[in-house]
Amino acid sequence: MQAIRVDDLTKTYTTYKRDSGFAAALKSFFRREKVTVNAVDGVSFTIEQGTVCGILGPNGAGKSTTIKMLCGALFPTSGNIDVLGFSPARDRAKYVHRIGAVFGQKSQLIFDIPPIDSFVMNKAIYGISDDEYKKRLGEMTEMFGVGDVIYKPTRVLSLGERMKCEFIMSMLHAPEIVFLDEPTIGLDVIAKNKIREVISEMNRNGTTFILTTHDLEDVEQLADNVIIINHGKKVFDAPLEKLKNTLGSRKMIDLTLAKPFPGSEINGVPVTAGDDELHISLEIDVGERSITEFLSTLASYAEFTDISVKSLPMDAIITRIYTE
Amino acid sequence: MRYIKIYLTCVRIAFSQAAAYRTDFILGNVITLLSNILFPLVTVVIYANGAEFPGWTMWEVLLIQSVFSMSNGLSAMLTNGVLWVTFDHIREGSFEIVLLKPLPPLFYLMAINFSTGSLGHFAGGLVLTIVSALNSGADACGIPAFLLLFAAGTAVMCGLDLIMAAISFKWVGNSRIPEIFDSISEFGKYPLGIFPKPLRILAAFVIPVAVVGFFPASALLGRSESYMLLAVIPCAVFLAFGIWLYNRMIKRYEGVGG
Repeated sequence: MQAIRVDDLTKTYTTYKRDSGFAAALKSFFRREKVTVNAVDGVSFTIEQGTVCGILGPNGAGKSTTIKMLCGALFPTSGNIDVLGFSPARDRAKYVHRIGAVFGQKSQLIFDIPPIDSFVMNKAIYGISDDEYKKRLGEMTEMFGVGDVIYKPTRVLSLGERMKCEFIMSMLHAPEIVFLDEPTIGLDVIAKNKIREVISEMNRNGTTFILTTHDLEDVEQLADNVIIINHGKKVFDAPLEKLKNTLGSRKMIDLTLAKPFPGSEINGVPVTAGDDELHISLEIDVGERSITEFLSTLASYAEFTDISVKSLPMDAIITRIYTE
Repeated sequence: MRYIKIYLTCVRIAFSQAAAYRTDFILGNVITLLSNILFPLVTVVIYANGAEFPGWTMWEVLLIQSVFSMSNGLSAMLTNGVLWVTFDHIREGSFEIVLLKPLPPLFYLMAINFSTGSLGHFAGGLVLTIVSALNSGADACGIPAFLLLFAAGTAVMCGLDLIMAAISFKWVGNSRIPEIFDSISEFGKYPLGIFPKPLRILAAFVIPVAVVGFFPASALLGRSESYMLLAVIPCAVFLAFGIWLYNRMIKRYEGVGG
């Protein structure tokens, strides 16, 4: 069942441009150059209920703008959005009752007081009953392991603790869909893993997640589907497996050499420099040539002490899609 | 009922927030209270030196000024926080945090930004109003008209806050606009008769700041004139326009790059 349907979504901004320096600043004081930016440009997609969808893209690609329009915080310039039967910006007050959102770089907690007070505020705002509040708060503080943390002022919490509390704040009212805009930004591995565990757990219980991130591990560990946006346009929309297989016929061969290799290619395959002159990488398209034949001749070109053959890493796949 | 519950919860949280820095909270309110008690000193000095506002006794002028102060304090409690928080949200591109709440944004901002620091302002004004009223022979019969005009004056101040906040959606970072409106509102602190006629019309009906202090105090003193009640209309229009403009400008909100 579809949770989200987006048709030909566009968001255009008008902004101003000026050069650096005092003269440019003075000039712009009297006359500013208007620039129209197509932040999101004719994007369409659907997201099924109960799935995790990762939205990827380089900085400024239009991911966050898309998420903000899906949350009802921004009006689209044109196009249609249907989330759970609502038009998010038009039906905002009713609609946001059924969603949650965590913006990694914008806090919903009140800075000077403990998170528990912010939770109490959300309890009143969302009309959560006392029993439901106690139950949800107990479950979530246990899942995140923040039983004591929620009673300390937000300003003294570590980034990881704060993000866990942001999650609780956004999910106390048991939303059906949760939008996460770079939720693991700046977190250490332990905090990231904990947050990913909770997302997986809640997803198993039926919550739909839409996630923008630059951390490909978030996507690899969580996402069922991936949408890639670049320059405001959708450039990829398919299950995660298909993304991995997009360049799947390519393999990366990492070599540790016994002595430096002076050439720029080995048997017709370009050499990529590694961390030092004794480490090189070769990217081979196994659909075009036999890896067995290539490996059997490799030793005659370069003397090596270690070798590994692996699929192309996700970041290489994504970078390739961004640049194509 | 739901909205009252939310408002009261938010006010309670606003107090917890203010009390997080206890010394600042206590000092802030004491300073506001003292400055409110001290501000009429200028009027006292003027009268002590034989000068006066023609036709008005010292206690009558003090009543105008204390009513003005009380109205200012009340409007600051209700809407002044909205003004400054809107400025910040727009500049930082974080207004979506407000829009994520299943409430009218203006109501949510008013509730969560209840200004506890203005309590001292209001309380100072209230004490001086009572003292001035007792010393100036105020008439209890004028209380209904006073309450109506006081509410109208507070509506003007709230309307001004909302109009300024709404402007910030378009002109980002204009944090000095309030200074202009503060200067205009100063007209409400003095007997209207001391100003030239064009200014009197401006202060009574165009930007009705005379309703903030002068009109309600006149009602309490039994010196009100029939046209004063008419000024309630532009006050209501002012507040309605502020609310309408604010809600209208929310649609202009575009955020900043994510």
